[in-house]
Amino acid sequence: MNMNFSTVLCLLFSRLNGEKTVNASYHLLRGKRSGQTIQDAKYYHVQNYFGVLPKLSKSLFNQAVEHLQEQNYIVIDENSRVFVTEEGETLIESTRPFDFDGWHYRGREEIFFARLSLTIQTLSHFRVSKKQFLPIQRDPEVQRFVKMALRNAPIEDPSFAIQIKEELVHLFEESRMEEIQKMIITYRFVGHGQTGWTWQQLGEKLNLLSIDVKLHYIESLHKMLKVIEKSEKTIFLSKIAANIKVETVLTDSTKRTKGLFDQGYSLEEIANRRQLKISTIEDHIVEMALNDSDFPIERFVAKQAYREVRKKSEILQTKRLRLLKEQFPALTYFQLRLILSLPAKEEEVNESPTSIKK
Amino acid sequence: MNLQQVLKNKFGFETFRPGQEEVIRDVLRKQSQIAILPTGSGKSLCFQLPAYLIEGTVVIISPLVALMEDQVAILKQQGEKRVAALNSFHTYQERERMIQQLHHYKFIFISPEMLAVPKVAEKIRSIRLAFIVVDEAHCISQWGFDFRPDYLRISEFLRTLYEPTILALTATADRQVIQDIRDYLNLTNPVLHKHSLDRPNLSYAIYEMTSEEEKTAWLLKRLTETSGPGIIYVASRKRADELAVLLKDKVRGVASYHAGIEQEDRAFVQDQFLNGELEWICATNAFGMGIHKDDVRQVIHEHIPATIANYVQEVGRAGRDGKTSVTTLIYTKDDIQKTRFIMQEDLPSDEAIRYFASSLKANNSIQEAALLSGVSETGKRILQYYLERFSVADTIQHIQTQRREKEGKLQQMIDLVQSDTCIRERILSLFGEEITGNPSICCSTCHEVPIESIRFTKDTQEKREWEDWFTRLTQLLG
Repeated sequence: MNMNFSTVLCLLFSRLNGEKTVNASYHLLRGKRSGQTIQDAKYYHVQNYFGVLPKLSKSLFNQAVEHLQEQNYIVIDENSRVFVTEEGETLIESTRPFDFDGWHYRGREEIFFARLSLTIQTLSHFRVSKKQFLPIQRDPEVQRFVKMALRNAPIEDPSFAIQIKEELVHLFEESRMEEIQKMIITYRFVGHGQTGWTWQQLGEKLNLLSIDVKLHYIESLHKMLKVIEKSEKTIFLSKIAANIKVETVLTDSTKRTKGLFDQGYSLEEIANRRQLKISTIEDHIVEMALNDSDFPIERFVAKQAYREVRKKSEILQTKRLRLLKEQFPALTYFQLRLILSLPAKEEEVNESPTSIKK
Repeated sequence: MNLQQVLKNKFGFETFRPGQEEVIRDVLRKQSQIAILPTGSGKSLCFQLPAYLIEGTVVIISPLVALMEDQVAILKQQGEKRVAALNSFHTYQERERMIQQLHHYKFIFISPEMLAVPKVAEKIRSIRLAFIVVDEAHCISQWGFDFRPDYLRISEFLRTLYEPTILALTATADRQVIQDIRDYLNLTNPVLHKHSLDRPNLSYAIYEMTSEEEKTAWLLKRLTETSGPGIIYVASRKRADELAVLLKDKVRGVASYHAGIEQEDRAFVQDQFLNGELEWICATNAFGMGIHKDDVRQVIHEHIPATIANYVQEVGRAGRDGKTSVTTLIYTKDDIQKTRFIMQEDLPSDEAIRYFASSLKANNSIQEAALLSGVSETGKRILQYYLERFSVADTIQHIQTQRREKEGKLQQMIDLVQSDTCIRERILSLFGEEITGNPSICCSTCHEVPIESIRFTKDTQEKREWEDWFTRLTQLLG
């Protein structure tokens, strides 16, 4: 089955394991930069969906939720938690796997597309000796970037445009984009005598909802960027993709906390220096742990307690803090959050005695 | 010097359009002026051409960022590289760089907000100025249909210049608005250039209907019987989308256009319309400014615009090529209330103003204050301006006056749609003009408006091609 928004949503609900309200998924898709959402993304291994639809409207989201309910794919209980039904699970299984990487691109794939689209528009005009046109991308940042990238390129030579086309074709093949996705991407380009197609128009032509067209587009861009990262053949496109991937994923405020933490300050000291509440600093610490498999968790929890909690969470099939707190009343909520925060890799290392860590 | 020669060499035109030459000659004589030229009459040329004959930089004060960017893009397209736009659209660094380079530019487009920044104003004062253009000058007037409080700051800037030559440009201005432009721009003795607003090639029809269903049915019939290119102006974004869907299979290409559609899609729709790939646009009043399409054959309103000036501006987008074009407004009695509601929405109530002021006092940001008091984006801008200058009580007074004025403007519009005298004559008299010789086709109160000129004749294929992706790439890149 084809990818669509309802199925993506259903999959998210399934991963969140009946432990979250619908809103958690909404924030996740929009890439809300709060401790809670980032924590959800990591705990439930749904980072790839983080910030995939930054402008998703609440009404569209609600419509999709209602649709899933009507189709009996999900059930929402009296505490507003979402459970995926057997039919829902079947729906997910019948759909091909999704290939997003929201965690690393976070909406910046649109900047990549803007640069690419302006490059193509420029070459499309220059190759027929039209040097004046209205740039489709109005963002001056994008305009300047493309100008720089094309500065020493032979843009008036038609063979240069063909070289770019060949890079694109190579990229389309290597990234295993679906045919429909290649159509969507190419019809969002504009050029000399060629106008672009709106989401609505593409949706009508392809018999999809606008939001599903958009998802295809985002997934395609993620696929393309992933290939560009490794490929040696996409010489020019690699330039266009510069600085798109987010390398440091921490929020700015957390970065500042991390600076102090790494110098050995205690949480109280950091809170004092930064004039922030201790609970905020705790959020930052959790965010750091989520993103760092070498996080020195022993500064907060004994190894023994760490292992026991991880095990219990596994057995009970839950990441809900309240349930775990009942089992480990001696540990604070902050400690429990930290324990659940460490990336899964750490766990495997701990459990297999033969592996050597550092 | 030979203006004709410059016109040909620099812009590629053989002759001036009506009104242009007089304005240009006065600019060259350093005569300040208010020029009222109808939409589509080539207002920009009035400052672009003399710019090349006078030493120094031309500063163009412009109200809308989008419009500004548009004009910059067009100048660049003409091969002029010494153009800059100073507005909130750019990052701090970009702006800094431009400000440093300011004296290198021939044309500087600037928003009134930026002009209020002391550092920017000082820098502009320090360079050699050719003359100053105030574009869309009606925005300075509280009686104007899109009053922008920021425009009042312009006078504060102009006062610091020594005898500047000022060219105030607008498409529509009645007596009150002209007086305001004169006062606020400190124009002691301006020349007034006024080209008749009359558009003999346009016919005006206004029909009252009894229900929304009847309106929709009328539209469907009209669009099957006649051709575009055309614009249908509607009251809301939702209706624009709805109508576009409804008309999809009836016409040769239709799309909706409003501020809720993302920028790239809006650009696609504009280009498709210009390119003749779309026959109809269902739009809110967001569509029009900066769109240069000469062969629009029909403009249809399926709601009541808030002012006659709005209406004139919108119907004026038809028939810029001088060929016969048809404008039609259809409405129900309920539409009067709807327009009134939308119009008053931007003017905050007395309580809202008090609440806004007190939450500012309590150190909330302007954003928060607007949110807390339920004031709209436009309302926020208006309040911000007044509260910086007046007490809360006086601000309330001002807003109340504006509300009355707006209501008055709407009343004129209501009178127009319900009138049984000549529509053309009414519009013209409102702008202080008399009708000169009745055109053969006038309006729905004078006679039945013929639609022969726009009658649908042959079925043209939808022009937009849908090829496989490889063909598309080849079309783009070879």
